[in-house]
Amino acid sequence: MNPKRCAACRYLRRRCPKDCVFSPYFPPNNPEKFACVHRIYGAGNVSKMLQQLPVQTRAEAVESLCFEATCRIEDPVYGCAGMISLLQTQIQKTESFLARTQAEITVAQIKHSQNQHSEFM
Amino acid sequence: MSGGGNTLTSMGGSGCGGGSSGSGGGTSGGGGGGPCGACKFLRRKCVPGCIFAPYFDSEQGSAYFAAVHKVFGASNISKLLLHIPVHRRSDAVVTICYEAQARIRDPIYGCVAHIFALQQQVVNLQAEASYVQAHLASLELPQPPPPPRPQSQPQLLFLTPPPLSITDLPASVSPLPSTYDLASTFDHAASPSSWATQQRRFVDPRHQYGRSLPSSSATLGLGGGNSDLEALAHELLHRQGSPPPTATDDSPSRTKSR
Repeated sequence: MNPKRCAACRYLRRRCPKDCVFSPYFPPNNPEKFACVHRIYGAGNVSKMLQQLPVQTRAEAVESLCFEATCRIEDPVYGCAGMISLLQTQIQKTESFLARTQAEITVAQIKHSQNQHSEFM
Repeated sequence: MSGGGNTLTSMGGSGCGGGSSGSGGGTSGGGGGGPCGACKFLRRKCVPGCIFAPYFDSEQGSAYFAAVHKVFGASNISKLLLHIPVHRRSDAVVTICYEAQARIRDPIYGCVAHIFALQQQVVNLQAEASYVQAHLASLELPQPPPPPRPQSQPQLLFLTPPPLSITDLPASVSPLPSTYDLASTFDHAASPSSWATQQRRFVDPRHQYGRSLPSSSATLGLGGGNSDLEALAHELLHRQGSPPPTATDDSPSRTKSR
């Protein structure tokens, strides 16, 4: 067994060629990463996706695939949509808070100007 | 159509094209209605009990299944659906379709681009919220007005998230809130390409806002039944634009399961 096989080839129990498409992104010290991606997408699909991308973008693509796969494993029904929902909820709450606070600022400014006017009078 | 589960009905091409002859248990198949969209794409006989039939109709379903097949693969989706309760599978199919389409449109980041955009929006809103809160505090107290950017933030409701990159994405995701409206899930706050010009900073919202979510997602208030999912399907199609490009290069012309 070649101890220098990437995590993907170790998982797939095959020889790791020098031009392995997976090896730069799935180091042998993190086998769970490829296991996660393989479980959701399959090695063949991931390989095809990476081969269609420029080399300089593959690392980011792998990270996003890992994230999506992790989300899907954690929540098989909603996957990443759960995270999106959480963020949208937070945005709505923050926007509501902003609107309320800005209304309070307006009221406070009106009161302040009224006080100044009454003092002047 | 039986009421065994939530199915997406076809609305002139919306959503994933729910089966018009499906039960929630997936017990329908080709029958008299012809093959489902998935089996039509795979060019195989749609057997009774086809797991895809309730969720991919023969009209629009093929286009959506093509995207799903290209990204995930039919067998992976089949295995995934088998592990999901029948009454939750339609939601799963919708989100899977969404992720597949997002990945085809953006092969590098997929729907994570959307998450980045939303996260950036959250950061911006929080900064604005902390500023106006400080401004309000200064108005309510007899003190000089605060500087344009407060030097200290004594009453922040939200913490400023630490800058993170995509490599810091969390390994786990908490369950959904108790009320979950799929129709609003795919509201693109920003175009998928706009975030690319911004610094990519992703903060796990659960770390920032606390784990206030219930421990189980089983109590999701989908309510509405078909109406919510139809709204989602329409929303998904509207926001994603035209149906996904057909993955003709993935047509399994040699895959014929009889």
